[in-house]
Amino acid sequence: MRQLLIGDKCGAHTVPYIEVKNNSSRVEHEATTSKVDEDQLFYCRQRGMDEEEAVALVVNGFCKDVLQALPMEFAMEAQQLVAISLEGSVG
Amino acid sequence: MLEIKNLHVKLEEEEKQILKGVDLTVEAGKVHAIMGPNGSGKSTLSYVLSGRDGYEVTEGSATLDGADLLEMEPEERAAAGLFLAFQYPVEIPGVGNMTFLRTAVNAQRKARGEEELSAADFLKLVREKAKSLKIDADMLKRPVNVGFSGGEKKRNEILQMAMLEPKMCILDETDSGLDVDAMKLVAEGVNALRDEGRGFLVITHYQRLLDHIKPDVVHIMADGRIVKTGGPELALEVENNGYTDILAEVN
Ligand SMILES: Nc1ncnc2c1ncn2[C@@H]1O[C@H](COP(=O)(O)OP(=O)(O)OP(=O)(O)O)[C@@H](O)[C@H]1O
Ligand SMILES: [Mg+2]
Repeated sequence: MRQLLIGDKCGAHTVPYIEVKNNSSRVEHEATTSKVDEDQLFYCRQRGMDEEEAVALVVNGFCKDVLQALPMEFAMEAQQLVAISLEGSVG
Repeated sequence: MLEIKNLHVKLEEEEKQILKGVDLTVEAGKVHAIMGPNGSGKSTLSYVLSGRDGYEVTEGSATLDGADLLEMEPEERAAAGLFLAFQYPVEIPGVGNMTFLRTAVNAQRKARGEEELSAADFLKLVREKAKSLKIDADMLKRPVNVGFSGGEKKRNEILQMAMLEPKMCILDETDSGLDVDAMKLVAEGVNALRDEGRGFLVITHYQRLLDHIKPDVVHIMADGRIVKTGGPELALEVENNGYTDILAEVN
């Protein structure tokens, strides 16, 4: 399971996702947590978005990208979960 | 317009001095080029000016129209008119190119106290600019830079620049990875933006690009400093003889 850490203050608001595109047969049991990519944030901010807006854009994209790779029935449920868990963590 | 004085920069994480006293002024309406060996600090300069984390300015200053750039957040520098075309444009999965552009344009307008562009006006503008850079509708819909070819990424940087109309444009090796036709498109994109109120700092390794974007001034950067400044003929000298003679002369 991989997770994305959103913001410095909100370690609890993580977005879990399952690496379904992984073509190796090895399943990782350990959860890895990565912060929102600094280069992506800087790219957005260089184009004029403030930090909050940049995080929201990148995280939204990340979720969309991940959810698109899930089978339909999971995607619907996951999308709702993400919407709930993101509420209040950014913006 | 852009005034850099005695700029000294080290890495935040280690005791490594990268810029060792850069002096450089780009006047409004002018195109300055920077050439220089790999690792001389050209990209570092562009990152420090645009406010990327990881660097510490130990001495010197950098201002844009008199405003202290080094005191500003990256997005404030952007809203003040500073634009960096990245040497390595960043991929943002799941974020449509068009959405990204619109968010950026409106964020800058908002920061300047201007009204947001309507969806219709925005679309019209993007289509027009994209067309002149031969960026098709499909590329506008795809996630930012994801799966773009090297040349497509660079053209996408120029599209962003054209949409944002910054007053100080820094282009970090925008020509690398471009085929001959794409190079012309990029140069046309830059030339279309050239005007009295706008300055350009073009980092490049090749005279080729400067055939199309005629620079007013050419600087040579070596080991964290500008070691030589001249006219367009300096770029030709580099193209023909490399840096050995120039560096020997300086030392
Ligand atoms: N984050 C970093 N960590 C370690 N070294 C760094 C870092 N950033 C820059 N450097 C070093 O600083 C020097 C200048 O790098 P920079 O990328 O600015 O060079 P450049 O002139 O843009 O080179 P090129 O023409 O290859 O793009 C190099 O020696 C590089 O390895
Ligand atoms: Mg570089």
